[in-house]
Amino acid sequence: MKFVKNASKTAILSAIATLGLAAAAQAATINQSVCVRSLNKTMSDGASVTFWGFTSNCGGMSSGLLPGPLVEVGVYPAGSGLTDTLNLTLNMAMAPQEQAPYNGHTIHLHGADVATAEDGVPETGAPVTGDTYTWTPKSNETGSYMYHCHVHTVKHLEMGMYGPMIGRPKNTAGVFLNQLTHDAATAYNYVQNYVLSTVDPAYHTATGDSTVFADYNPKYFLISGNEGKTTAAPAQTLAAGVNKKVALRLIGIHSVNGTFSVKDASGNAKPFTVYTHDGRALATPVTMTSLDVSPGQRYDILFTTPSTTGTWYPQVTYKNLRDGTALSTAYGRVTF
Amino acid sequence: MKRLVQSTIGLLLAGLASIASAATVNYTLYISAGSITVNGTGGTTMSAWGYSDVAGTTKVPGPLLTANEGDTVNITVVNNHNINHNFVAQGLTTDATAIAPGGNKVYTINLGSNSAGTYLYSDTLNSNINREMGMYGVLKVKPADGGNTAWTGGPAYTFDRVWVVSEMDKPRWNDVAGAGGTVNTGVYKPNYFLMNGKGGFDAMHDAATTVDGLLGQTALIRIVNAGQQSSSLHFHGNHFKVIKSNGVAQSAPYLEGDVINLPPMSTAEVTYYLNQLGDYPMHVHTAQQETANGVYLNGVATMIIMK
Ligand SMILES: [Cu+2]
Ligand SMILES: [Cu+2]
Repeated sequence: MKFVKNASKTAILSAIATLGLAAAAQAATINQSVCVRSLNKTMSDGASVTFWGFTSNCGGMSSGLLPGPLVEVGVYPAGSGLTDTLNLTLNMAMAPQEQAPYNGHTIHLHGADVATAEDGVPETGAPVTGDTYTWTPKSNETGSYMYHCHVHTVKHLEMGMYGPMIGRPKNTAGVFLNQLTHDAATAYNYVQNYVLSTVDPAYHTATGDSTVFADYNPKYFLISGNEGKTTAAPAQTLAAGVNKKVALRLIGIHSVNGTFSVKDASGNAKPFTVYTHDGRALATPVTMTSLDVSPGQRYDILFTTPSTTGTWYPQVTYKNLRDGTALSTAYGRVTF
Repeated sequence: MKRLVQSTIGLLLAGLASIASAATVNYTLYISAGSITVNGTGGTTMSAWGYSDVAGTTKVPGPLLTANEGDTVNITVVNNHNINHNFVAQGLTTDATAIAPGGNKVYTINLGSNSAGTYLYSDTLNSNINREMGMYGVLKVKPADGGNTAWTGGPAYTFDRVWVVSEMDKPRWNDVAGAGGTVNTGVYKPNYFLMNGKGGFDAMHDAATTVDGLLGQTALIRIVNAGQQSSSLHFHGNHFKVIKSNGVAQSAPYLEGDVINLPPMSTAEVTYYLNQLGDYPMHVHTAQQETANGVYLNGVATMIIMK
């Protein structure tokens, strides 16, 4: 979750960045490490579910995060010749894991078209005992991605082994821009990640090639790790201003269908504009009031808050894979 | 002026090509009851019904039918099974009436202009039971010149693949329908997830399924979802371009993605450019659909091999 507190602060920051241009005009290498730790979460019905989450805190007593920590990589303007490189290291020390053949973990940079050796897929040779995964996004690759384990994914994704990964525009001075892409029309005042996921507790206790994994019966429906079952208890909140641009990064790691919308307190759908899909800018941005986000997909959207104070609820209705009937809705909240 | 002349010549050439290649293509499909085998750990042999080009055998999916724009296709469907069936090529035929046991029917399709594409044929009777049992396949229509473009003047490709994704609920549907019982269609918990009628362990090595080619080549992948669940296919290695969605040609620049969602009975055509050396999976991103009765990766998965 990243806030841009106000426009003037942004302006000051970019002015500073501009002054520093000559000295700072170089690409960055982002070295980030994550570990895997258990996390016991008490769900809305009182049941406890054990997750495995990534965390940057590799202390022995630390707890996994759901979703894992944000990973951000700079993407420079076309023609600049500049690139950032991400080195994301999986530290396997003290990681909870399954028995063979699904022991160990990896990291797959989902949506990043990396070399096989960086792809984190055990079946194509990736080690499961820890590794560093490298990605150097190109100028057209702004947008939302995710990283997740690629061992026995039917279980490990369900266990919570995922986090948001963002290809975020930088100017040639190396300063992150508050935009979805290098198109100035995608500038935002606020941005949040909406990580979509679902939880079938039976998948958390089953292990190996169990028949449990043939039948998915999700019981909990999350946005960014929280249930948000009602507008009064949203999964995620944002205090924005009136007449401001709010960007949401929709990152689908759920295993059913999902439909995103933004509604006011009376349930009226509010239009939003989709700028990117799967880390690629749309040729023409599309304004709509309802967007299907399927497992693995990402969309980056933007809306403008009204000129009078109020509350809107960005929300995801999770739906049955067979007939699209609604299973549950998870709510976020934006006040302005 | 120059542009006008060029497009006139283009039209003439297109007209000539379609005249030159127009043909009558005849197919016979035999409907019968049999079985399907999913190999490897978690696999099974279960009752299935299918269309086949060889009487007395069951094929799931049914045979790939191919023709060119401008052709007349006659498909004779022979029902060698003991219940009613039909044959509907989505977007091409409308006669959904039954073919009684022992009967047959000829479907004639005149492939007009702009018909190049990927069509799902299936049995639409019996509350999805006939389709679930394996009665589906693909008719592929190439442009009038028979060349490697998605449609006349459309995106070019080096080679194409057809991916039919589907599922089967062995205990509640196939075992019951196969034994002549009554399926409770309100409950569907498929435990086998198929890529071209195979589990992933086979589909990852099946030359007709894998995207296996040289750097610089472009694959056209024709995807149909013959199942009853939405399927979300994730490509590693490179992004694809969606050039056709449910038979509707898209316009350039095409939507790029690494995940494409196909609702039941939908079709899509994507191009995938072979851009870097390596071996990459393509798999569904929906938990259970990656499995065969819970066994990981023996579900909807195949390989992308770039050499
Ligand atoms: Cu893992
Ligand atoms: Cu993934």
